[in-house]
Amino acid sequence: MDIATRTRNDVTIVAFGGSLDSKTSPQAQQALDGILAGGGRKLLIDFTALDYISSAGLRVLLATAKRLSGVGSALRLFGLNETVREVFQISGFSAIFAVFATEADAIEGL
Amino acid sequence: MRPGFRMTIGADRREIAKVNAAFAEFADAHALPASVRRSMHVVLDELLSNTIVYGFAGREGGEVTVEAVLRTDRVCVTLTDDGRPFDPFGRAVPDTALPVEERRIGGLGIHLVRHMMDEVSYHRRADRNVVVLVKRLRAR
Repeated sequence: MDIATRTRNDVTIVAFGGSLDSKTSPQAQQALDGILAGGGRKLLIDFTALDYISSAGLRVLLATAKRLSGVGSALRLFGLNETVREVFQISGFSAIFAVFATEADAIEGL
Repeated sequence: MRPGFRMTIGADRREIAKVNAAFAEFADAHALPASVRRSMHVVLDELLSNTIVYGFAGREGGEVTVEAVLRTDRVCVTLTDDGRPFDPFGRAVPDTALPVEERRIGGLGIHLVRHMMDEVSYHRRADRNVVVLVKRLRAR
């Protein structure tokens, strides 16, 4: 899996490429934990280059969301392909996470 | 002979990537829709990691055979393992309407498998768990 991180003002954008599954989820968790430990409170997750996500990947997102609740913090996602969207719908994650089509949409009002 | 592949992996989570690579190659060779390939990757990750982590717990070794067959209108994948008897579809469905704080992830993987495949079945046969998955090939 590929993980790339960049910042725009006080927003951290993390792009995951490839698959977010039982093999790669520890890496993803580590990257997100690092951002949170560094004081990042506004997080955008870029799934544009993500091929698929399994429940191991969902677990990482859920753990991150739980740690990010509170005033001034935000977690948003964008660029989900058809399969990732389907996984979000089936799991009920669509109702928990703020999902946007593009980075511009996701960053607006953050 | 119908197109497909058959492979056996050991009881190691890292082996799941080999199965996914083989399936990707198979999907590519037969121009399967990306959505079918991706759904199968998700399902293989869920079921194989379950078997490797729980089915083979407390013992040395263990193996899973993966067989994929392409038919006119569907892909059929059969997973056979010699782990402890376990019906992945015999469990309760998780409540996906609960708020984040009350959510437990446990059965979520199997919930995904049921919904992403068109047919799933389980049999215990000759001291092995046999899971059959069917994904139909719809027009894109």
